[in-house]
Amino acid sequence: MKQPEIAANASAANASALPAGARGMLRTRTWRAGELASVLARSAEVVALLAIFGVSFEMTARIQDWVRFRMPIFSTVTAEEDLMVRDALGAHGRPNAQYKKWIMDSLGLRGAEVPVAKPSGSVRVIVTGASETFGLYESPEKEYARQLEDTLNARLRSGACAGRTPLRFEVLNAAFPGMTLPTVSQDVRARLARLHPDIVILYPSPAQYLDVRAPLAATPDSTGRSHELPRANMLHPRALDALRDELKSLMPGPLLSWLRVRSVQAELQQHPAGWRYTSVPEARLARFDHDLRDFVGSTRTIGAEPVLATHGTAFSRPRADSAALIQSWERFAPRATGNVIIAFDDTARIATMRAAADSTVLVADVATALARAPGDNFADFVHFTDRGAGIVATALAPTIIQAAGRRAECGR
Amino acid sequence: MLFNSVIFLFAFLPITYLGFWGLRSTRARHIWLAITGYVFYGYWNPWFTLLMLFSTLVSYFAGLGFLRWTDARHRKLCLVIPVTTDLTLLGFFKYANFGLDTFHSALQLFGQQITLPHLNIILPIGISFYTFHTISYIVDSYRGNIKPTRSFFEFAAYVSLFSQLVAGPIVRFRTIESDLEALGATSRTRWLTRGISFFIVGLIEKVVVADSLAAFVDPALAHYHLLSSGGAWLAMLGYTFQLYFDFSGYSTMAVGLGYLFGLRIPQNFNSPYKSLDPSEFWKRWHISLSTCLRDYLYIPLGGNRHGDYQTYRNLMLTMLIGGLWHGAAWTFVGWGAYHGALLALYKRFGRPWDGLSRGARQVGMFILVVVGWVLFRSTSFSMAMSLLHTMFVPTGGLLVEQPVLALGLLTIATWWAMIGPNVYDMQHTFTLRRRVVLTAAFGASLALIVGSPFSPFLYFQF
Repeated sequence: MKQPEIAANASAANASALPAGARGMLRTRTWRAGELASVLARSAEVVALLAIFGVSFEMTARIQDWVRFRMPIFSTVTAEEDLMVRDALGAHGRPNAQYKKWIMDSLGLRGAEVPVAKPSGSVRVIVTGASETFGLYESPEKEYARQLEDTLNARLRSGACAGRTPLRFEVLNAAFPGMTLPTVSQDVRARLARLHPDIVILYPSPAQYLDVRAPLAATPDSTGRSHELPRANMLHPRALDALRDELKSLMPGPLLSWLRVRSVQAELQQHPAGWRYTSVPEARLARFDHDLRDFVGSTRTIGAEPVLATHGTAFSRPRADSAALIQSWERFAPRATGNVIIAFDDTARIATMRAAADSTVLVADVATALARAPGDNFADFVHFTDRGAGIVATALAPTIIQAAGRRAECGR
Repeated sequence: MLFNSVIFLFAFLPITYLGFWGLRSTRARHIWLAITGYVFYGYWNPWFTLLMLFSTLVSYFAGLGFLRWTDARHRKLCLVIPVTTDLTLLGFFKYANFGLDTFHSALQLFGQQITLPHLNIILPIGISFYTFHTISYIVDSYRGNIKPTRSFFEFAAYVSLFSQLVAGPIVRFRTIESDLEALGATSRTRWLTRGISFFIVGLIEKVVVADSLAAFVDPALAHYHLLSSGGAWLAMLGYTFQLYFDFSGYSTMAVGLGYLFGLRIPQNFNSPYKSLDPSEFWKRWHISLSTCLRDYLYIPLGGNRHGDYQTYRNLMLTMLIGGLWHGAAWTFVGWGAYHGALLALYKRFGRPWDGLSRGARQVGMFILVVVGWVLFRSTSFSMAMSLLHTMFVPTGGLLVEQPVLALGLLTIATWWAMIGPNVYDMQHTFTLRRRVVLTAAFGASLALIVGSPFSPFLYFQF
């Protein structure tokens, strides 16, 4: 039986009103009803299969997150940035949030739950700073805060605190990625004080002072707007994020390098000539110095012992990928050339030592310890590998024990 | 490059596939397969493509020699020179340090303190496999089992065929020759659905089953001395299935990829954990290797033609060499000896064993295989002995990580490997239900690929 023919997108009457050429085109789009049904069925099947693929892809990614990290299958946290919250106390870690391996406790500190009241007989140490302290690339429980706690307690067991022996050292991690030094000081005063720390360690990130604007304290937000993440975040496609990261990691080096250079150039074009630092900016260094001293003052205000650490970079030892690393760092601090970023970091180390000496604060020269330790200590320009985090912990431990001694928590 | 990587799935495979079917002639397709094989191999380390090219050239010219000369002397030269060359390369890259270490240990045993150098050699991935390909080609040409090819690109495509280049199956030229020669006339759609289906089933075996098992097996065996008896059994059962699904998954993907390019690659696994005795196990496990060992080693040694004693000796020798082929370590030799002994014992005392019930034989054989994998997985004999002691003498200690999840995974793996169908038992027509299942499976596998740490195939090391 001959199948009835239908026009795909125009009636015969409309078609007759068109020029001859257009009518010819329309004729070619004439479908038999059976063919049209078949095409529609195939299209529907392709769409359905794509949907099945997408749902399977996404659900597997979520189940995998649950299996590996116990991350809730439906979570409003969709990225590392969501682990930070801005509220009436300023900016700090979001309580009870989790994104993959990063788990925050009810106080918004990275790590396992701790009581607000300090357990008797323990020395409470808080480490604070930006992503280097928070921990990005380390395996779970291998960020330097955790390794520091293990190292300190191991030394305790071997008699490091003979005399007045505390039961244990407790190290809390109050850092979050991008936390500025003024925000740290604000956090110490407004939030960490109630935890009654004995010691607060600052591992600063001097390169923040080469940002477009000098770092400021986060403005407290009493509106409550950013406290809760939108529920719609639960539908955020996690698998696509993972796929994007995977594709990025596959990008050839030269292409990645070209994209980084282009990104820096695009930023430079938005500013007048001379905007970029070609030498260490003294004003920014003075600001860094000021903020360090403010941190020391803030920590002393809450009755804790401040400890400063010098900042280490991957460039203190020769590396095959130094050029690529400096290029990627420039992308994060486009206002300065790579050489200036490194020089600023070196100068900031001296400033840290000087500020510590002037304020009679203990300082751990972590930068030198990292420079002396062979091996892969950095996963990128400033962030640590498990090994690097271990070196930081080892470098900090004697200073912490000394600081505990100053507070008569330790016998020596 | 790994089959379970984004670069392979979304760049290499589509380009290779479209390029291949965009070309028309057999010769052009041979050239394309050879080029893509070298790209696939060179992605890991470009310099080692020169080694493969050298091995290919030597074997190719030997093949031409067989075509040219009919006298025994020249033919023997065409056999000895390339086989010696291939074995020398394999020996240097794979066994030089093993030999030096063994020699050093032997000297120490006799009280000689001599410091021998440890050579800084990187083992080229897949050298054991492509060496087997070239040697089997030479030997088969010498024996007159195949007619060597005059086309360099056909031979280069055979040696560097990316689907079976680095971890098998070991494809003998005679099994693939007709497909290679008909490559210009082969139909794109003839094996398409079968190829896709095989590839996705292999991907599930590797990514979903083997890698999930690895998540609790690897950490457990890294701290084997802390395990309890239950933990050791869980870890070793996990490894038993991990190894199977990893290698079988790779082979299944290789066969599927072969189909996509009109090449029928032979079956490499046939549910080996369903075996009822040692002899059957080796007919089902790594079939391409065991048939090669049988044809190029066991039978030339005399096989079972010269009485019981000679048969046992030949079985032991074959399995010892088979063990050594897997890796340059005495534990692999020990594993080979163990299986050689099982085969010999079965040959001698098989009748009582065969009298047992089917279930008892399957479980018994499976336990014997698990014990063998202890040797295979261990990095030293002391590790193997410690693990075996923990498994068979009740010992306190740790279980594996996430034991409930591990048990769930083991249950699925046990069902699939010991009761369920293997890929050859499955239907590969694209019914709607099957399309839905394969699509969902591919989605799940892809999510695991992008979300998991780097996971090479276990057999890449061999």
